[in-house]
Amino acid sequence: MTNTYLRRHAPFWISILAGIAIWEIAGRSTSAAFMVPFSETLVRLWQLIRSGEFIGQFLDSAQLFLTGFVLALVIGAPLGLLLARVRFLRIGIEPYIMILYATPMVALIPFILSMMGFGFAPKVLVVFLFAVFPVLYNTVEGARSIKPELIEVAKSYRSSERALWAEVMLPYTLPYIMTGVRQSIGRALVGMIAAEFFLSSTGLGQLIMTASQNFDTGGVFASVFVIGLIGVGLMRVGLKIEQHFAHWRQ
Amino acid sequence: MSDQTIGVSVSRAVAPKASPRAQWLLANAVPRIVVGVAILLLWEFVVRALAPAYVAKPSTVVMAIPRVITDPAFLSATGQTLLAVAEGLAVALVIGTVIGLVMGRSAMLERAIRHYVNGFYAVPMVVVLPLFSLWFGYSSATRIATIIFAAVFSIIINVADGARAVPREYLEVARSFRSNRLSVLVGIVLPSATPYLLAGFRLAAGRALIGAVVAEFFLSVGGVGYYILYNSRIYKHSEAFVGVLLLAAFGVGFELLVQWVTRRFMPWYRRGDKS
Repeated sequence: MTNTYLRRHAPFWISILAGIAIWEIAGRSTSAAFMVPFSETLVRLWQLIRSGEFIGQFLDSAQLFLTGFVLALVIGAPLGLLLARVRFLRIGIEPYIMILYATPMVALIPFILSMMGFGFAPKVLVVFLFAVFPVLYNTVEGARSIKPELIEVAKSYRSSERALWAEVMLPYTLPYIMTGVRQSIGRALVGMIAAEFFLSSTGLGQLIMTASQNFDTGGVFASVFVIGLIGVGLMRVGLKIEQHFAHWRQ
Repeated sequence: MSDQTIGVSVSRAVAPKASPRAQWLLANAVPRIVVGVAILLLWEFVVRALAPAYVAKPSTVVMAIPRVITDPAFLSATGQTLLAVAEGLAVALVIGTVIGLVMGRSAMLERAIRHYVNGFYAVPMVVVLPLFSLWFGYSSATRIATIIFAAVFSIIINVADGARAVPREYLEVARSFRSNRLSVLVGIVLPSATPYLLAGFRLAAGRALIGAVVAEFFLSVGGVGYYILYNSRIYKHSEAFVGVLLLAAFGVGFELLVQWVTRRFMPWYRRGDKS
């Protein structure tokens, strides 16, 4: 058991250790203002955690992320399903969703800033805008992939509208919705940091900004490192969710 | 034309078949135009009723378009952003293709760097800006670096997927003809991974655009992103919004271009997105 575990995961750990070693050596052989070795990054991170600064900012960011993301999900998915049932609307709105999906939403941040100012709401709006279109786009895509025969059969058996949704629409679009969820987790994270950078500075974004303004390279490395880890973790969660629902697709 | 001479019932059956194009237009163009106009009207009236005068609305944005696209400042901003995105994408394409090909064909290298590629891909790209500005200064070099960072990993991931999916027979034939590794990579693996490369490039282009805009916000380097930031700060929202329209056009343009290239040159190829 331990043997197979080792054999399976040894390359992973070797590559992680090698990466840390390269980081450490590169950090030690350059100036401290330029790059900080891995060990010092950890020390700085520990200081930030112990002072309580890190936890507070982390919770701030988590609140922003979750509010925006959940809003995107509870608005995007039902709206997408509704569009799927109303053919005229779906055909009419699809190209616009595609356009918005491909538009870099960051470009709207300056407008949001000057219209809504510095509160919590404008930042939630940014996260929401980043996250909602992947959900919407994939939901509509999934609903479009439902074979018309399925709905026709359900109808010819006089299935009620409610049963049609529960038995046909939802099971068929759910895997697509989950693809949207995975994509929008990633985008919401980008939106969160962008909102914290360019609107009122709070959370992990503020942690980085303050460190960078104070030329505290260790602080920059520590916070970028942590946000990177959070990104990787969230990506994993997204993939797991998507895979869990993917077998429905067949 | 001959409808009148034939009976009415026949003409009804024939007419749609005679012009499938007109039918398609009726089924698709009409809802699109109706919904589009409805959205614009809604936007116009909501802003008129609720928002201050400076907020962008369709009528003022349309009026701003001729003014903005003849403004030399806007043109040079567009040129700067486009050039930076093109340069960054070109670098990312070369680096990403090389690393992706090798990673897809060498199990050793794959194991060594896969976690880093996936990890960096998952890092929200905005976060590297303070770091990059520390390294490259508040200059356009940082913008290029951000664009490359935003674009390169999705290309690597997709090309590596493609290189892994090369049909085994091709490689066996190549081996039995004793071709060397390099010519296998360039002659067989690369062409067969091209559809994946295109899928990765499509993603990368969108991310590169975001990277460029974010970098311009952060660094105050001239470009479309900075144009939008500057004009919205001095409450010229309609002018700034023309910049957003331009970015949307880039985004959609890339998307359509890659779709068209895939359909035109690889019509047999259908694949879900990997993003």
